[in-house]
Amino acid sequence: MFSGWNWVAHVLYLLWSICSLGVSGGLVQSCGHIIPESPVLTLGSSFTALCILNESCLDFGNIYANQIIWKTKNRVVPKEQYREINRTVSSVTFNDTSSLANPLTCNILADGQIEQNIYGITVTVGLPPEKPKNLSCIVCQVSKLAYPMTCTWNPGRPTFLDTHFRLKYRWPQENFPDCIPKDVNNSCMITDVQFFVNLEVWVEAENALGKAESDPLVLDPIEIVKPLSPHNLSVNSGILPTVLKLSWENRISVAVMKLKFNIRYRIVGDTNWMQVPPEDTASPRTSFSVQGLRPYTEYVFSIRCMKEDGVGYWSDWSEEKTGVTTEDKPSKGPPVWRSIVASHSPTFWTMHLMWKALDPFEANGVILQYEVTVRSKSSLSSLVEKYNVTTTNLTLKLPNGTYEVTVIAHNRVGASPPSVLLIPASNSKAPVKSVRTLPKDGKLWVGWTAPNSYVLKYVIEWCLVSNSSDCIIEWQNEPGNVQGTYLKGDIKPFKCYLITVYPLYADGQGSGQSVKAYLQQDRPSKGPTVQTKKVGKAEAVLTWNHLTVDEQNGFIRSYTIFYKTVDGNETAVTVDPSKTEYTLSSLTSDTLYTVRMMAYTDEGGRSGPDFTFTTQKFGKGEIEAIVVPVCLAFLLIVLLGVLFCFNKRDLIKKHIWPIVPDPSKSNIAQWSPQVPAKHNFSSKDQMYPEGSFTDVSVVEIEADDKKSFSEQDLKPFDLLKKEKSTSEGHSSGIGGSSCMSSPRQSVSDSDEGETTQNTSSTVQYSTVVLNGYRDQTPVQVFSRSESTQPLLDSEERSEDQAGGGDSTTQRQHYFKQNGGQDETNTDRPCFERTKQIIHANEGDLVGFAQLQISGQSSQLLGLGLEKNTQEAALPDVLQASTEEQTVRSESVEGNPVLVDEIPKSYLPQTVRQGGYMPQ
Amino acid sequence: MAAADNTSAALRRRDLCSRGIRLAGKMRSDVVDLLDTYVERQGLDASASVAAVEGVPVAAVERWDEQTGTQRLLENLAAYRTFRALLAQMLEEQQEQLGEADTTLGQALAAVLLQVSAFTYHLEELLRLESRGPPSEEGAEPPPAPHLSLFERKLRGLGVLRELAQWAVRSTRDLRQLAKPSPGSSSPASLAESP
Repeated sequence: MFSGWNWVAHVLYLLWSICSLGVSGGLVQSCGHIIPESPVLTLGSSFTALCILNESCLDFGNIYANQIIWKTKNRVVPKEQYREINRTVSSVTFNDTSSLANPLTCNILADGQIEQNIYGITVTVGLPPEKPKNLSCIVCQVSKLAYPMTCTWNPGRPTFLDTHFRLKYRWPQENFPDCIPKDVNNSCMITDVQFFVNLEVWVEAENALGKAESDPLVLDPIEIVKPLSPHNLSVNSGILPTVLKLSWENRISVAVMKLKFNIRYRIVGDTNWMQVPPEDTASPRTSFSVQGLRPYTEYVFSIRCMKEDGVGYWSDWSEEKTGVTTEDKPSKGPPVWRSIVASHSPTFWTMHLMWKALDPFEANGVILQYEVTVRSKSSLSSLVEKYNVTTTNLTLKLPNGTYEVTVIAHNRVGASPPSVLLIPASNSKAPVKSVRTLPKDGKLWVGWTAPNSYVLKYVIEWCLVSNSSDCIIEWQNEPGNVQGTYLKGDIKPFKCYLITVYPLYADGQGSGQSVKAYLQQDRPSKGPTVQTKKVGKAEAVLTWNHLTVDEQNGFIRSYTIFYKTVDGNETAVTVDPSKTEYTLSSLTSDTLYTVRMMAYTDEGGRSGPDFTFTTQKFGKGEIEAIVVPVCLAFLLIVLLGVLFCFNKRDLIKKHIWPIVPDPSKSNIAQWSPQVPAKHNFSSKDQMYPEGSFTDVSVVEIEADDKKSFSEQDLKPFDLLKKEKSTSEGHSSGIGGSSCMSSPRQSVSDSDEGETTQNTSSTVQYSTVVLNGYRDQTPVQVFSRSESTQPLLDSEERSEDQAGGGDSTTQRQHYFKQNGGQDETNTDRPCFERTKQIIHANEGDLVGFAQLQISGQSSQLLGLGLEKNTQEAALPDVLQASTEEQTVRSESVEGNPVLVDEIPKSYLPQTVRQGGYMPQ
Repeated sequence: MAAADNTSAALRRRDLCSRGIRLAGKMRSDVVDLLDTYVERQGLDASASVAAVEGVPVAAVERWDEQTGTQRLLENLAAYRTFRALLAQMLEEQQEQLGEADTTLGQALAAVLLQVSAFTYHLEELLRLESRGPPSEEGAEPPPAPHLSLFERKLRGLGVLRELAQWAVRSTRDLRQLAKPSPGSSSPASLAESP
């Protein structure tokens, strides 16, 4: 602890000692200094510095050279570069000064701990000046008497030091003050120099590291003069139209130098200069006449000068002055061409003559008018017409033929040579071949193969093909010895041009050969709009229209059709550009397709709008192939069904449409043995097939009963039949074919009471319905059954016939059954009634048969009557009672009258004893 | 070797004569221009006649065509050394009189002075080629300027310039004479061909 305090006290003392030493010797007195003081060093050289300590510091601070530390910009220099020369001097050596940073300080480590700066220097590093090179001088005249000379040189590498350059010059016998550059180090201007005396010029460069001089340049300043350009240039028209006279003033005295000149000129608007031959202007002068100019042309002139002997520099070009040559007569006739339009009359042409205005260098002035002469070359006509026009076209209506057209241009000075165009009656000469085009350098080149004959010249005709404008013809002439040319016109890119080449011969013209061309192609401006013409199951016919010329922007090289399903890949089909229709095949049926179409030129393609379509579900004929068989099958089934039904009509009828016995038809009285047989059936089997019986009620009849039917007993039926036929005319036909009721209105309708009274044997079942329908006034309806009432009949029979109790009992029983049956079951009662009748007429089979037929007479014919009568056999009769229906339907056409003859009346019937007793 | 030296000397002489002639021509042109400027700036009349000025060499000479080349060179050298001194004196007087205000006249005077010096150099070189060497300038010192009034100094200056213009013409003719073939010949016969 105590030793620590001693150490601190020692350090404080040391610092105080150093400070006190510094202050005591003056304002600032350090303990040492560095040699050299602020040196200027050559870059890359070695450098050694010494730090010398003052002796006084040795006494007070115990500072010695071995404690010195060298630093460059606060960076300690490695100890290896130190050297202790003695106890007060330390040196440091740098092998390469390029790495030496400022400041270089000498420091001391006091008491081994605290670093104290003793001294510092700034080292300047640079390079000595190089020898200036490439010294050159020029005397630029700035006025008539002022000739400053400017010398330039290459100062060499940067020296990184303040380097002074001086331009020195002298005469052999006289020195001049140096020229000191201002702000630059590579040029200096001597304000006035004297000519014709050699001047020695050199450059001296000097800095802290040295001095260098350039090689001396000895020259006479007159040899390096760049004179001022001539001024006050004027241009005057000469007498000749091809000459202009220039005048100017020189600004350098002839006493100083003699001059030669360059004169250049160009046509106004042209950028290319022409020059007067230098040898023509190689002598001093102040004027010159430029020849060989174009008449009536505005020229621009400029002039420059230099020392006559060519030593020195050319002056700048003078200001430009313009002049116009005078007019001359046109140098050539205007190119002429024609366009022939057939007029309404076949023997006349509408000839549109057109010629081009002469170029200015050909017109040589202002064209005042054109003289057009049209000569007919036909043998029959010697037409010569002259026209003076100011425009460049003339339309004539001329007879067909060969003409020679001459056009002459006139200006103020004179007339041009004539331009002649032979217009033959027909272009019968050989045409050119292989017309082709090629875009080149932004222009459209047209080439062709010349015909074998000698061609005077060619006419190239072209026009822009467009939908929006007519084909306005432009044309140009080309000499006969060329086989290609550029179109001289405003040829636009992306536009279609129709180019036609005509060869003109001395005695006619060849027909034109045409080609279409584009200066530059582009993608079409739009794509084709595709649509379907027809869509099938697996194919679709697409149609589109060609793009218009304005939309094409180039030659359409191909079409590509892209089609795809909603989720499928797109398929592309390339189509020839001449087509406007294409059939897509192998499509999937009943599928939505999206189709679009691209048109391609050489530069690319563009797609048209999408179009969607759906393929059909069935192909052509498929529906027919399905529907027709189905229909046929249906028809067949129907037919079979009909046939089946027809065959089974009895059964069907039995179940659906049962035959209800019509009581009114049960008029046995109608049956008569005298009824002629109207139907002749071939055989009993045919009449009554066994299978036709569907429901047979078997009635047992005793053998004795058969005898009770005598032929006489049947006679009264004829009468009855006749009466019924009469009464039938009074039937109203009310009712239908119901077995339960007769549709007819019998005569007894009007005489009901009388009939009831007078015909005791006839009982009519009638019901007068007086109920109106709803609120309607009830109409008196007379409904009546045409049947006789078996019950009454039985009553009568019970009176008339004795011993018939069994039969009566049976009959009553029957009707009870009948009355208890459902009305829909109408067939059965009919047959049961047959039994009933049989019971009622036990001994008369014929009457039974008649009864049966009469019972069905509302619908059926009693065709089997006679047959049954002839057969007179019970089984047969039973058969006839069923089979008769079939026979009836088959014969209804042939015996319509018979139907009407069937007794349907309720007239009182004559019943004789032994006859039928129905009621 | 001697022939080569002779050829070189001949070319040198020809070059010196050529450029001397052109320098004399320019000097005359400039002196003429300077005369206009001088008359204008000094307020003198261009038509004013000036009597012979003392100390100014006179260009006119009798029997000019009988002079030898060396004699011509010596007379020219003497004259131009005198003019150089006179012009320097004029320039100093002009600067004293007009100061820096009129730089045009001063610059023109300085330019002519330089040309006179240059021409003197040409003459000295030609004399060296004559294997004679230029004479010392001690004898060519102009007489000390008399104390003259301002107007008299202006007139004197006008006289100096006019005479210098005359000398320029004469020098041109002298050098052309020297530039002719047989330049080494100093015989009077050769001088007869002078223009």
